[in-house]
Amino acid sequence: MELDFTTFIKVWEYRELFIRGFFMTLYLTSISVFLGLILGLFVGLSKLSKRKLVYWPAKIYVDVFRGTPLFVQILMIHVAVIPSIFGIFDRIPPSAFFSGIVALTLNSAAYIAEIFRGGIQSIDKGQMEAARSLGMTHNQSMKYIILPQAFKRMLPPLGNEFIALLKDSSLVAIIAVNELAYAGFITAKSTFYRWGPYITVAILYLILTMALSQVVAYLERRFSTE
Amino acid sequence: MIKMTNVKKSFGALEVLKGISLQVTEKEVVCIIGPSGSGKSTLLRCINLLENVQGGHVFVDGYDLTNPKTDINQVRTEVGMVFQHFNLFPHKTVLENITMAPIKVRKWPKDKAEEKGLALLKKVGLSDKANAYPDSLSGGQKQRVAIARALAMEPKIMLFDEPTSALDPEMVKEVLDVMKQLAKEGMTMVVVTHEMGFAREVGDRVIFMDEGYIIEENVPSKLFAEPKHERTQAFLSKVL
Repeated sequence: MELDFTTFIKVWEYRELFIRGFFMTLYLTSISVFLGLILGLFVGLSKLSKRKLVYWPAKIYVDVFRGTPLFVQILMIHVAVIPSIFGIFDRIPPSAFFSGIVALTLNSAAYIAEIFRGGIQSIDKGQMEAARSLGMTHNQSMKYIILPQAFKRMLPPLGNEFIALLKDSSLVAIIAVNELAYAGFITAKSTFYRWGPYITVAILYLILTMALSQVVAYLERRFSTE
Repeated sequence: MIKMTNVKKSFGALEVLKGISLQVTEKEVVCIIGPSGSGKSTLLRCINLLENVQGGHVFVDGYDLTNPKTDINQVRTEVGMVFQHFNLFPHKTVLENITMAPIKVRKWPKDKAEEKGLALLKKVGLSDKANAYPDSLSGGQKQRVAIARALAMEPKIMLFDEPTSALDPEMVKEVLDVMKQLAKEGMTMVVVTHEMGFAREVGDRVIFMDEGYIIEENVPSKLFAEPKHERTQAFLSKVL
């Protein structure tokens, strides 16, 4: 199969698929990152807990989701976990998009939890002691003293995680979520042109990741000057 | 004000406090001296329960800290603490460091807390640093801010954990001067220190600790001039 210009003309004919895929990838990643941040914060804090009933579930969760391939997680969640859960309540499982969000959120939360834990642990324990000695509660000390400082240190690894998740979101193409990689896959399959669709997909991912790293770099600059 | 009875504390197999009993009355300035590892910092940290005690009782201002029903946060608002390594909040300005606890814990309105904060900064001679960040201050200045921060809660007791040990020698005096001023104003103070001059001059009582025990306590003039216990004698002969 030759790389010639007609392949891009084909892509242009299918442009709506790519545009929709582009925004779907952005949407999928944004929601998963947002939910992953919230869940990751709680899991990360749980991993710092001295209570075994809090610590161990969090540790097992992180180990399982970091220790197995995201690809396998997506498949399992879509074809087994979610249908079973909805089966219990006699409901029809929601779309593949829903499964994709669940898988990406659970996966990213495991990595984000470790970033939170590391960030919090990197703050000198004198900070917590000083806050507590002033009569602040543990939660107040976390909120006003520890987390703001930890967040600054967590920005670079969080940025890396977001970029990784953006790229990994392409894996949900396997369950037919109409995101960017799936757009390339469908176009290639139905037109028999291969270069155009996949080069287009790659360039669009590159645009997304470069824009995201600009945002992260901007945030790092802003927080470091404070 | 403070009463400890037979307090014990271990870190794993290492017993750091082996039954400490101690009383501090209102407006008294008590200095704790002793070699490294004698348990003096741990003893101090037991007074606001930064360390859990494993035996005995700690009473502060009438509260039994070892009773699980006691609101520790409430007690801590009455006990200010100054640390060896300052522990200022680096992401907050000097003034914000001072006003944070009054605003968040005492629920003071912001302007009242700032008024108090500026007055305290004036008192420790750092009025011009209100909007600076801690990283731009010298060690002595940081420690004076830390003292102001603790005082902002209007505590009844102030604890000092080797407040001058991390300072360059030329900055020790500015911190000790602030502490002397506080003592003069009648603050109840417990000071873990290696500054024998300060203990002698400002202390109402000096406690010598070694290996988890209080070996000897007395008014400074007596303890420094005629220590009774041989371990006190040995220690003082090395540091004086």
